[in-house]
Amino acid sequence: MNYSPITENDKEEMLKRIGVRSINDLIMDLKPSLNEKLDLSKPMSELELVEHLRKLSQKNKIMKYFIGAGAYNHYIPSAVNHLLMRGEFLTGYTPYQAEMNQGTLHTMYEFQSFICLLTGMDIANASLYEGSSALAEAVLLCSSYNGRNCIFIKDGLNPQYLEVLKTYCEGADLKIVNEIDNNTACVIVQNPDFYGSIENLQYVAEQAHKVGALFITCVVEPTSLAILEPPGNYGADIVVGEGQSFGIPVNFGGPYLGFMAVKSFLLKKIPGRICGMTTDSKGNKGFVLTFQAREQHIRRERATSNITTNVALMAIASTIYLALMGRKGLINVAKLSYSRAHLLQNKLKSIGFEALNKKPFYNEFYMKAPSGSLENISSNLLKNGILGGLDLDEDKILICCTELNTVQDIESYVSILKETK
Amino acid sequence: MKLIFEYEEETTEHVPDVDDNKERERTGKEAAAEDITIELPKDLMRKELPLPNVSEITVVRHYTNISRMNFGVDLGFYPLGSCTMKYNPKINEDMASLDGFKDLHPLSHESCIQGSLQLMWELEQDLTKITGMDAFSLQPAAGAQGELLGVMIAKAYFKQKNEKRKKIIIPDSAHGTNAATATMCKFETITIPSDSRGNMDIYKFKEVLEDDVALVMLTNPNTLGLFEENILEISDLAHTNGTLMYCDGANMNALFGITRPTDQGFDMIHLNLHKSFSTPHGGGGPGAGVLGVKSFLAEYLPLPRIIKEQDNKFFLDYTKQKSVGKVKYSYGNFGMLVRAYCYIKSCGTNIRKVSEHAILNANYLLNLLKDDYELPYNRRCTHEFVLSSRKFGEKSALNIAKRLLDYGFHPPTIYFPLIVREALMIEPTETESKETLDRFAAALKSIANEIKENPEIVKGAPYTKLVGRLDEVAAARKPNLRWIAFSQSDGKEDSEKKLYVKK
Repeated sequence: MNYSPITENDKEEMLKRIGVRSINDLIMDLKPSLNEKLDLSKPMSELELVEHLRKLSQKNKIMKYFIGAGAYNHYIPSAVNHLLMRGEFLTGYTPYQAEMNQGTLHTMYEFQSFICLLTGMDIANASLYEGSSALAEAVLLCSSYNGRNCIFIKDGLNPQYLEVLKTYCEGADLKIVNEIDNNTACVIVQNPDFYGSIENLQYVAEQAHKVGALFITCVVEPTSLAILEPPGNYGADIVVGEGQSFGIPVNFGGPYLGFMAVKSFLLKKIPGRICGMTTDSKGNKGFVLTFQAREQHIRRERATSNITTNVALMAIASTIYLALMGRKGLINVAKLSYSRAHLLQNKLKSIGFEALNKKPFYNEFYMKAPSGSLENISSNLLKNGILGGLDLDEDKILICCTELNTVQDIESYVSILKETK
Repeated sequence: MKLIFEYEEETTEHVPDVDDNKERERTGKEAAAEDITIELPKDLMRKELPLPNVSEITVVRHYTNISRMNFGVDLGFYPLGSCTMKYNPKINEDMASLDGFKDLHPLSHESCIQGSLQLMWELEQDLTKITGMDAFSLQPAAGAQGELLGVMIAKAYFKQKNEKRKKIIIPDSAHGTNAATATMCKFETITIPSDSRGNMDIYKFKEVLEDDVALVMLTNPNTLGLFEENILEISDLAHTNGTLMYCDGANMNALFGITRPTDQGFDMIHLNLHKSFSTPHGGGGPGAGVLGVKSFLAEYLPLPRIIKEQDNKFFLDYTKQKSVGKVKYSYGNFGMLVRAYCYIKSCGTNIRKVSEHAILNANYLLNLLKDDYELPYNRRCTHEFVLSSRKFGEKSALNIAKRLLDYGFHPPTIYFPLIVREALMIEPTETESKETLDRFAAALKSIANEIKENPEIVKGAPYTKLVGRLDEVAAARKPNLRWIAFSQSDGKEDSEKKLYVKK
């Protein structure tokens, strides 16, 4: 395929106008020049491409997922993708020219509003790459705000998030420590935590604030916010996390949707794009990117972050998703996810699995298998088209349910386990 | 346009409204989801969820109409310099949303992800061929994260060698991200001015190249659209000094099959797949900022690495050598990788044509415009060029940009690079026709005339959009950043009350 519309005739005319004889005259400066063609495959026609990609995609196997651990398989209403694929949303870029990109900006503003309503916070940005790097950005924000360089992380953070955080901390010379004291820049708690457990974190907020540290709540399964107390209400200064559950496919890990919301005193410190409402010359309402003086293209080495491209389209997807689901739909998703997970846990308890969550949980929980190794169990489930969870070690498994895990699937999950024994 | 929060309450049903466990066990009947009781302690539960309830048709109309207030490559010419707003092939969207790709959980068993691993592995191979690098990580989510990873790798590399290098050299034409990234990794930046031909000033460079310099970060071709003429000398000097060469690959669209960054002496490069490799920009992302490195840095790349075994099976290798660690959850923005893979497979051995036509288009447009606007560096350009409108006075670039909206074009990047006053940075890309370029040039010429004959018209633009020129100063002075009026004290309660009344 060739996507350039320039004909040979055009080319001749253009070269003449430029005043050169050939394209080679235009690229003389580009050195050292390659003498041979790149060793890539033969160009594919659209037809060949489709066949090739179909085959590749069919080498993957899609299972019935009873796994979450950072990526949640929720139902996505059809309208989300139809709207998202409109070229007006899909093929524009960052709305530097506000008057021409009111669509993206209008949706950004709604996205920021949704995130604030769900988290109970004052200000949200227009997205960050995904949850784990968003958490790392939050940590950098805290360190820049209070000039401290120690980070306290409560047990139960998604291990991949922890790895990403360590990478960023190494880069930024920050230390992960085991105590909260006067050097602590921030205290991080994932809620619900990696194992699905939920708690009221007011006491953590108080502990953090007592020593002048900021309190970050990390939300990885945001449908939980439909029923759980918003972190802004129990003292979070920053709520950061992953919005993939809101209308974005699991996509083998990306693109996802990082979000960040803060209390208003952190407005000037927040990284990434922010959309604000303003007026035009005639007093009509409109939207612009605002507080750009925080950003790299203006502030350069003194910017709050290097982030430029975010995941605007994913933010649009989640905004459309939230609009479609509405209050009622989102609560239903949360209730179904909650009740399916509890149903499965009960059934597993009845066949000898031990429940390990010490606190209440939402839609994820972990259990100890009765005897022998999990390996048999997991491979037997796989054979039957079920990914049964995330094996944590030889006998512990982290299991997740959403509204897509039907009661029938739960029953077959359990009966396969019974047979395995 | 209203906000989605401002519609009246309507009915809406998108998820199964019924649940079927406890109630069914007890009575044999299904219970409505609404009747599920959540048995959680009160202090864990939300009191209210103040979201709107609107029907599907309302939502579809709302966002369809909102989208019509937008502009994209699908609607017209979008010569936003440095962003490579080329056509985004539709087939690539279809391929990325094949069920086997989009519904694959990242923590699936290795036997279930062979197709995705093969795609990623092959993409890495193709990218190494295009750039000359030895290894790629597909993990970074965008160019800035690719840079961050590159700078982290440089930091880890020198730490390992026990060398204290705290500085990064960056030319003054560089993207702001380069400097911001250096700061995130606690490096000090040294900014080198550009010379009269738009190159990094080699004499100034030599002066500051001391033994504490870790990295030289160059964009090549640079943001002026000019190929760095002293690149080989710069690389040699850097390497002799033990300094690494980093290429900001935002402008790779000029180089496919013509010259490779490694041949220019670079040790690392990030590529913006959403620029050079045609994945759509989505109103600001998602992107993918994959990072390529020479073999001596490959051990520092994030985990896991994708390994191909002899029997054509692929596996994920988590063996920690010197890896700096992960920079994001899972393996990368996989959906964008599929699109870029499709693009490379479509171009195949003809990929050089992409760059040739990008360069042809840019030089043609430059020639059409250089008499009406100023060309600050009188050289042949690569895939983009920068004009100055300073002869039309202060704020003229902004005014011209706004006036271009009335002519139906997206304006160029303005006021960047910072070293050109009243800069108009124009990148036509290879996917535009000669006719489009002619029309755009005619528009810019016409605006130049308007400025001379009727300057007020240009200052008041735009006139044909749904909104006129927006007040950015007011937006920052009185921030209104979400539906609930911005207020630190009581605004929140007010509008929440408003919602509850609707219920």
